[in-house]
Parts: sequence; C-alpha cells; structure tokens
Amino acid sequence: MTVTAEKLVKVFPGVRALDEATLRLEPGSVHALLGENGAGKSTLIKIMTGVLRPDGGRIVLADGGDAHFGGPHDAQRAGIGVVHQERNLIPAFSVAENIALSAVPQRFGFVERKTTRAIAKRCLDQLQVELDVDRPVSSLSVAQMQLVEIAKALAVDSQVLLLDEPTASLTSDEAQRLFTVMRALRDQGHAIVLVSHKLDEVFAIADTVTVLRDGRSVAEAQPLADFGHDEIVDLMVGRAHAVLELARTPVDRDAVPALELDNVSTADGHRDVSLTVRPGEIVGLYGLVGAGRSELARAVLGLDTITAGAVKIRGERARIRDVGEALRRYRMGYVTENRKEEGVFLEQPISRNIAVTVWRRLARFGLVRSRDENALVSTYQERLGMRLSGPAQLAGQLSGGNQQKVSLAKWLAADCDILVIDEPTVGIDVRTKAAFHELIVGLATDGLAILLISSDLPEMVTLADRVLVMRDHQLVGEIDNAHDYERTSQAVGRLLHMTGR
Amino acid sequence: MRIPFWANPRLGLLVVIVVLVAVFTALRPAFLDVGLTIVPMQSDLTVFVVVGLAQLAVLSLGHMNLAVGRMAAVSAFASGWAYDKLDVPLPVGLLIGLAVGALVGAAAGWTIAATGVNSFVVTLALDFALIGLVSLLYSTFSDGVAFHVAPAGLDILRGDTFADYCMGDLCGPPIPLVVPIALVAALAVGVFFRNSRLGREILMTGSNLQAARLSGIPTRRRVIQAHMLSGLLAALAGFLLAVNNGAFSADIGGSFLLPSFLGPVLGGTLLAGGAVSVLGTVFGAALTEVIQTGLNLLQFEVEKFKIYIGIVLLVALSLDRLRHVLAERRSGGTAAPRPAADPVPAEHSGGAA
Repeated sequence: MTVTAEKLVKVFPGVRALDEATLRLEPGSVHALLGENGAGKSTLIKIMTGVLRPDGGRIVLADGGDAHFGGPHDAQRAGIGVVHQERNLIPAFSVAENIALSAVPQRFGFVERKTTRAIAKRCLDQLQVELDVDRPVSSLSVAQMQLVEIAKALAVDSQVLLLDEPTASLTSDEAQRLFTVMRALRDQGHAIVLVSHKLDEVFAIADTVTVLRDGRSVAEAQPLADFGHDEIVDLMVGRAHAVLELARTPVDRDAVPALELDNVSTADGHRDVSLTVRPGEIVGLYGLVGAGRSELARAVLGLDTITAGAVKIRGERARIRDVGEALRRYRMGYVTENRKEEGVFLEQPISRNIAVTVWRRLARFGLVRSRDENALVSTYQERLGMRLSGPAQLAGQLSGGNQQKVSLAKWLAADCDILVIDEPTVGIDVRTKAAFHELIVGLATDGLAILLISSDLPEMVTLADRVLVMRDHQLVGEIDNAHDYERTSQAVGRLLHMTGR
Repeated sequence: MRIPFWANPRLGLLVVIVVLVAVFTALRPAFLDVGLTIVPMQSDLTVFVVVGLAQLAVLSLGHMNLAVGRMAAVSAFASGWAYDKLDVPLPVGLLIGLAVGALVGAAAGWTIAATGVNSFVVTLALDFALIGLVSLLYSTFSDGVAFHVAPAGLDILRGDTFADYCMGDLCGPPIPLVVPIALVAALAVGVFFRNSRLGREILMTGSNLQAARLSGIPTRRRVIQAHMLSGLLAALAGFLLAVNNGAFSADIGGSFLLPSFLGPVLGGTLLAGGAVSVLGTVFGAALTEVIQTGLNLLQFEVEKFKIYIGIVLLVALSLDRLRHVLAERRSGGTAAPRPAADPVPAEHSGGAA
C-alpha cells in the first residue's frame, strides 16, 4: 500500500511545527524518518495516526483517495498502525486480550476467549514470535511488550507500521531480534516507518530515508545507500542558522565553581557525572529527550536519590534533601520544564506565584502583607518585561511566555545565585524566545551561575559558554561553544550519534 | 480579571437568607421571637460555623475530614473527664480538649502524608475506630454515656446573653455569650489563610502539590498542619455543643458531618482545594440554620426535614457548578476560584444560591 503525506502543515501557537513536510511510503520497505528534537517528527506521526489534524496538505491513501482522519480509530481503519515510545498496554490483561483490544470479539456482550486467542496467535505467528498468549502483560520483558504492541497493530491489519524509537529500551540482542521481525514484515509487503536517533541501526535496517529539519523535509524518500553517516548528520542539523549575537563577559575560569558535581551517580541511573558551573557562566546540558538531563537536575535538588559522588556548592560539600533546602541554604533554584504542571500555580494570583518562595522573608509575625507582595510583582514585571493586568491576575490567564517569566521570577525574588533552567522556551513564540535569551544572558552577566538544559540546539549555541552532551544518563563530551552554529552543532551531532560506545 | 458579581456565591447566599427569613416570618411570626428562636438559633449557629471551619481547614488542601464528628467527641470526652476527675477550671478543660483534637487531627494528617492514602479513606477509617473508642471511654470512665459536670462559668456561658448584662439602663444585645468564641475562631481562620505564610503555603499545596514541592514548600508538614487545625476546630465545635447541651456526652459530633460540608461548600469553598472562603462558610452555616429553624417552626417531621436538607444541598451544589461554568465562559479563561474571605460587595444585588 502506498501512502503519501503531501506538504503537511501544522501550526501551533507561535510555532510552525510542520512546514510542507512530505513523507512517501512504499510497501515492502523500511523507511527511516530522521530529524533533531523539534524537527517535527512527532507531529508528523501524530497527523499520520489521526491524533492531530493538519492545517494544510493531505494524506493520500493507496486507493488514491484523500484520508480524513477524525481520530486514531480512523487511521487504524485505514491500515496505519503505530507503536509509540511509551507503552500502551494494559498490564493486568493477558497478551491475547491486549493484542485483540481494538476489536474484541464478543458474543452476547461477553468476550469470546477462543477467538481472542486465535487472533493473538495469528499475529504472533506473523512475527514468528513464540509467546504464551495467556500470560499477563505485566510479567513480560520490555522487549516482549514491544512485540506485543507490534502484534496489536497487526491485529487491526495495519499495512503501514510506524515505530517510534522502538529500540530505546532494548538491549542490542533484543534489538537485533526486533530487526529480524521488521525484515519479515517488510518481506510480507508492509511499509515500515522507523523513527530513531541511533544512526547505526538506521543504516543497518532502513532502505529509504526522509530527513526533517525545522518542519521541512530536507531529504524525501531517498535511498539510504546514497548517504554516508556524516551526510545524514549534516542534513539533520543543517547550516546557516542565524545565531543571535549577545554580548558576553568572559568567565573567570579560575573562580571557585558555584555548582560542582563530582562523579555523581543517581538512583535514576546516572553514572559518574562530573561538571562545574562557575559564577557568571552558562553551562548547557544538551541531549536527546530521555537522556536523563532533567532527572539529573532533580536529583541534585533532592527530588531523587544520589547514590554516589559529591555535590559541591561554592566549594563546600552539600547535602540537599528538598527544594526548600536548596533554596534557603544554598540559594539554588530550579525553573522546571513543565511550566503548567509544576512551574506555576494556574489558579492562584501572580502575586502569590512570585512571592511563594519569599513569604518567609516578607512575613512580619507570621503574616504577609499584600503591599509587600505587590511591590515584588512590580519589580519583576519591569525587570522581566511581563505583561500583566495586575498582581491579582490569575497565572492561568497569562500567555505561555509570561507564565514562564513568572516561573523564573519566583527564583530571582528568592535571590538565587545558582539557577538550573530546564527547557526555558518550549512552546514560546520566536519573539518572546529572543527576549528570554537576552534575559538569561543578562542574569549570567549579573554573576549568576546557570545550568541550562535544552533540547533546542540553536538556543544552546546562542546561550551556552560550554555545552555538555548527555547520552543514556552519562556525559559523553564537552564542547567549548564559540557561538558558531555550524561548528558546535556538528560537534554535538557527532557526539550524539557516535558509533558504538 | 475578577469574576462577575453575580457569580459571587456569598452574595447569593445572603439574598437567599434574607428571602427565607421573610418567608418564614410571614408564615410564622414567631420566627423573629427573640427568646424562642433568635437566641437558640445563634447558639446552634456558633457550633455549625466552627464545624464548617474544621472541614474548611482540610478542604483548603483538597482533602476531606470525615472524622470531624468523632474528633469532636473524643475531645469533648477529654474535657468532660478533666472537669469530672481533675476538677479543672473551665478554660483549662477547653485547652485539654483542643489539644486532644489537634493531636488526633495531626495523627490523621501524618497518616495521609506518610502513606499517600487518600484523606477520604484515612479519615473514614479513623472515624470508624473513634466511634468504638469513644463509647468504650465513656463506659469505662463515666456513668455510661455522659459527664454531667458544671465547672464554674459553664452555666453562665450556656444560658446568658449580652442582654443580661447592663450598665445602668443600657443592656447588651440578645446575643449568647458563646457567639464571640465562634467569631474569634472565624476571624483567626480567615487571617490564617489570607495573610499567614503557613495558611498560604497550605493553600498553595492544595492548589498544585507538585508545584508547591518544587517551590520549596515542605508539603508533608503543611498537610499535617492543616489536618491538625481541622482537629483543633472540631474540638472547639464539640466543646461549644457540650456547653449548649450542658453535658459532655458520647453523642456529641454525631450530627456534624453533613453540616461540616454544607457551610463551606455553599459558601464557595472548592472541594478541589487551593481556595477557601471563611465568610462564605459563615453564610452557608447561617442558611442551613435558618432553613432548619424555619422548617422546625412549620412543624416538619425530622425525617422529612432531612429529605429537604439533602435536596437543598444537591440543588445548591448544582447551581454552584452552573454558575462556575457560566462565569468561566464569560471570562473566557481558566476557572476563576474566589480568593479567600473577600468581603461581599454590598452595593450589588441579585444572584442566586
């Protein structure tokens, strides 16, 4: 079945996530879909599977007709199945029940167990996988669950199969096994789309490749054999990115680091992470989604357990048990990436959102006067350029950019001199983004030590003095950033997609 | 952006109270009889206001305290026991009761914070256990069901109004002496949630637990403290009821649960947490009290009366939800919860409960 997504456009507030991207799928081939974080891969997949509706372009199905997906079910019916990065199985149900879930055979309203099993068996046979269909999914290994998900997609007769980072949590043996399955499916005439950041495996299995950059397809369904490793990386990162020039004062590299990690390991799986951030320095922590960057920050702030190594603040060994301690004892703040869930209190006034970290200081005899709070709001309204109707306005009524400023303001109000800033400009429009970048540079110029976590490479190049690259919970390299997009991005790209390890 | 005035639940409550008082007075002029209704109504109201505040203390977190009644019972037992066996003066007994209530509340809060089990389940189980404990305590330490004690001052607190105290020809209003106790409690709770760091941090914890934790608020401690306050206020309510009844008995708190929700919820406190209204709680309790007294005067039977109260609660809650949705649509933004205890704009009229 030939399926073509033609010139798809998807616009989110302030962002053109897809800008006439095209994906041409042929039956009996494995097609690699590549691109950096934010290139538009997820959006493309969501449109192909009916989760999102495109703002422009069309999807042409095998019969030549246009597809109009009202929801995931429609896409499924059209023969497009997907295996997402996150597991979508019901742990307490059996393998058979999970596989047949989208179309449970029923009789008189009761599940027909025999047919359910037969369907599951047929799908697993197609994959040449031996698995007891009566086992509960919770007892399976991650790799087995993956296969069950693929079987589940086959159960609804998917001719197109989208696999989003299928090997992210597999061992290399398990991955090899999955590739065998993928080849078998290809030979049966399925069209398989592989989204992966691991270029090695892409080269090992894919026949054709589409590369997305900034929402555009910069390589469209070309034979993979025509490309080399480095050519693909160059295509993904691109060149000629206008980098905002911001005046930076040189960092005193002999100063005592404000924050230092010395061979830190965590319960989350980080091993021997060492880094330093000096006063006035912006250190970037770059990596793919899931590399463990935010988790590292959380562990440092006492939200997860550090199992080995030492955290030093201003040269002194620090033991931080919670954010309150980080804030009051070590003057370290954390601007979270989940603005709406963790960064602001949507249903509370802006004044409380900002003053929450300093009530202890503002309180006289345990009582806080709103006059003091409002003064605080005007200070930061001016300093950060927030657009508010007043201190009593609810944070939920602000735009994303202004919410982010509120989320930052509470740490500035608390007089932090170490800030961990996590994905500061996600979902923020371009103009506010530039203003935010100036703001962060301004903070560093004022002497704050900033650890910047971002998946946005141009942002890293603009802001960071040094870029540390994290992969699978370990630091794999450090790049002195000369604010030259081409050089830094290619160095980062090589570290990320390094062969072997 | 403020919510439209007609979406202010406190204003609606006030209007409904006034209308109901007028209706009941038209039907039974005795409704305005000072000795027969006005004074007893105020005494009852003090209890229900404080009960409502006890529930409000944990609603601030988005939690519930289903053991308010039994916390009151245990504390009342402690006070009664102290008067009976230790012969302590009136205020000391009260303090002992409050301490016991706060302790039981803190225990509930600690269990919730430490185990992560829903407050609904924890306090439900606690309530069940305390029912047994209270009857066991009374049968062991008293004549069976009550302490009939009269520490100095109890009868005065129970029977007198300010009208009994005169300076020359000038006498006080017909307000029972217990009323100021509830007023002080309401004022204190209002200031606590509106101005104090602790109260605000509790509200922030209720508003968004994760964001509160990431803002450096010790959320576990705040959960325990809110429940402790709830226990303390439940104990105060139990004491006030014992004063009104003239005896510290095992059945104190038995009828607290429903009124504890009626007051705050009618007054616009969100069950979801993050916003409370003390003034609304006072009005909500007053409305309940007016309906109760009115239906009593109209000689409704107790059973029918319960049906009406249940219906009133359901209707009030549905209307509240409707009003909320309308206000949200009007402002075109996120749900706008009311800030704590802001005064009712008296110049506006209209609105519905």
